[in-house]
Amino acid sequence: MGEAIVITSGKGGVGKTTTSANIGTALALQGKHICLIDTDIGLRNLDVVMGLENRIIYDLVDAAEGRCRVQQALIRDKRFDCLHLLPAAQTKDKSALNPEQMKQIVEELKPDYDYIIIDCPAGIEQGYKNAVSGADQAVVVTTPDTSAVRDADRIIGLLEQEQTGSPKLVINRVRSHMSSRGEMLDVDDVVSTLAVDLLGMIVDDEEVIKAGHQGEPIAMNPKSRASIGYRNIARRILGESVPLMSIEEKKGFFSRLKGMLGLKA
Amino acid sequence: MKSGPPKNLVTIKGTKDGLTIMMDDRCSFDELKTELQEKIEKDKQVFGHGPEVEVTVDTGYRYVGTSEQEEIISLLKEAESIRIKEFRSEVISREEAERLREEESLTSITRIVRSGQVISVRGDVLLLGDVNPGGAVEATGNVYILGTLKGTARAGLEGNTGAVVCASVMEPTQISVSDVLFYAPDRYEKKQRQRPMFDEPVFAYIEAPDNQISFEKTRLLTQFQNKL
Repeated sequence: MGEAIVITSGKGGVGKTTTSANIGTALALQGKHICLIDTDIGLRNLDVVMGLENRIIYDLVDAAEGRCRVQQALIRDKRFDCLHLLPAAQTKDKSALNPEQMKQIVEELKPDYDYIIIDCPAGIEQGYKNAVSGADQAVVVTTPDTSAVRDADRIIGLLEQEQTGSPKLVINRVRSHMSSRGEMLDVDDVVSTLAVDLLGMIVDDEEVIKAGHQGEPIAMNPKSRASIGYRNIARRILGESVPLMSIEEKKGFFSRLKGMLGLKA
Repeated sequence: MKSGPPKNLVTIKGTKDGLTIMMDDRCSFDELKTELQEKIEKDKQVFGHGPEVEVTVDTGYRYVGTSEQEEIISLLKEAESIRIKEFRSEVISREEAERLREEESLTSITRIVRSGQVISVRGDVLLLGDVNPGGAVEATGNVYILGTLKGTARAGLEGNTGAVVCASVMEPTQISVSDVLFYAPDRYEKKQRQRPMFDEPVFAYIEAPDNQISFEKTRLLTQFQNKL
């Protein structure tokens, strides 16, 4: 019996879809059976990030309204056989689905997968309620911006009223040089404000943007620091205890040399 | 048992605080009204023209609701020199008693008040946890927070100017006591300081001469409350 995890944030643009795609991919890399569900009806993106938009025939709303079986709407990933995507409808809006239908679809999928990753739309309205209704667990994504943390706090408050248990936190786009200079919140500030368990953090990495552009999740690239962050999150979801990676950027030869000579690195 | 002429239902007594109109609590309200009206017409010495007198209306063990109070007020209006200071009664309604009990009670709550959440309490509130920015705790009495106050706290909601907001770590967005408001310094200034606003638990109160919110160390709270 699988476990359904909703990825949510409140605020838009903090990386819910990217996080969903990469946690899904990283778990698939570990050989787990994963189903991604995009609940952002009308503004679907998860298929684009995964590079699967050309294969969509049926979608979530079709499955909910019985125009097809749930299995027919699933798209198999081009990289992993064990990774499937249930895309959102693009021509409808959030009201095309209700929490009951969503719950039913998730329950139907649970026996076939280890994890079901639900990508939640921004906001706290109908779309959010739909996405959360089927979930057993919640992951809140935020960035170290004051506004994103404020919205994450709001969302955590709402999630605490659901049956999802205490949500876990992912801090995205951490910029070590800015937080060390006090120009940005650092990871500790965010965690102490939100007072929930930290599942992981992802350093700000241009490779992520490049990967999104190519339709290939960054988690596939073993060299990227963001990828390592996502893979660590996947291992923590599986119950391993993985220490937090250092957010310090690796110093090059010259800056180390300068440091040795006592110059400002 | 005394018998004879019926006892006065309405008696007027002079005390050092002014006049007290004592009303019998056994007779019917109508009887009271008639006698009060007679007294007003007859007793020109008290109710007639002259310097204004403050009166307390004491209704004993009779429960007097707002409509009855209004009737008494309208009767006494005819006596121009009378001004009603207060109604006094030995009894209150269950509802009022319940409200008074709530007003005196301390509600303790263990949780984090997150953005968008509001805790509203009658009486005093003790919060074990933080108030995050965008969250609010309000009480008709005092607000005590065993944690960090980063959001909004409102004490003395219904006008109690002696109420306080007390927090282990005071970093509020906004504090109000009764109708006096305090805004936190702008975020940029706060960053410049790089240190918490206070390095020990403090309470916020209304400082008398300026009628402004002021902060004082929590250990001085007893002095403040003794002064009230």
